[in-house]
Amino acid sequence: MSWKIKALTKSLWVFHAACSPCNNCDIEILDLITPRYDVERFGITLAGSVRHADALLVTGVPNFKTKERLKMLYSQAPKPCLVVAIGGCACGRVMFRDSYNSPCRVDEVIPVDVYIPGCPPKPEAMIAGIVKLINKVKGK
Amino acid sequence: MEDVVARIKEKFSSRILKSEEKSSRRIYLDINPADIPATAKFIFKDLGCRFVITTGTDTPAGIEMLYHFSQDSSGKLISLRALIVDKKHPQIESIAPIIKGAEWIEREIWELLGVNFIGHPNLTHLLLIDDWPEGKYPLRKEER
Repeated sequence: MSWKIKALTKSLWVFHAACSPCNNCDIEILDLITPRYDVERFGITLAGSVRHADALLVTGVPNFKTKERLKMLYSQAPKPCLVVAIGGCACGRVMFRDSYNSPCRVDEVIPVDVYIPGCPPKPEAMIAGIVKLINKVKGK
Repeated sequence: MEDVVARIKEKFSSRILKSEEKSSRRIYLDINPADIPATAKFIFKDLGCRFVITTGTDTPAGIEMLYHFSQDSSGKLISLRALIVDKKHPQIESIAPIIKGAEWIEREIWELLGVNFIGHPNLTHLLLIDDWPEGKYPLRKEER
């Protein structure tokens, strides 16, 4: 395991990329990082800029405008960058697949490492997803 | 509490084609599209009602525009209803020069329903990308 990959298994700094979501997933993410679930005790904290982040939390289904911005965000992130798709919309397009303003899924724009489905997923589900992600990075 | 509906009816008695009271707090006033700016100005500036939102709907008879105003002190909601009959080239005078808050919703109605707002200061795309194909209006019935 290279040191870069190893660093990702310690304390993840995440950047929250909201790609035209309905904000329900974002509210659950807020619940995740605030004292009730408090993932900061595992070193997971929000980064103000994607250039300081180890992981990208993506919520919502990209539209024509946010698709370009998501691509830009990913290109600015230091590599290796983990991508977590949170919610049914980010995992697949669900009810928006025939929408006039929905060109693609998140994983058609950037590579996704872990999918956390749910509408919205519970903070417990997100923690379970992050644990699986860290195990995957460790190669377990 | 001054009765806003009575004052509108008193001032624009000839312009109101039909008035419909869904409840004591919800009033619809049907007027001609050409009378919208003057009526909206009177309700907004003189009666001091709050501009809530404009809505547009594609109906078989034409494009129905609703301008919602609220008198917050009494909780009354007044909706001006105007039917744009020409569905090929729908157009109506913009109220954005009078009510600044109507600027974005008119841009949205323009790009999604294809209603041309005459006199709008900045009629450009808001939610869709700038190179969205011209003449393709996603909320029209034929797009379904």
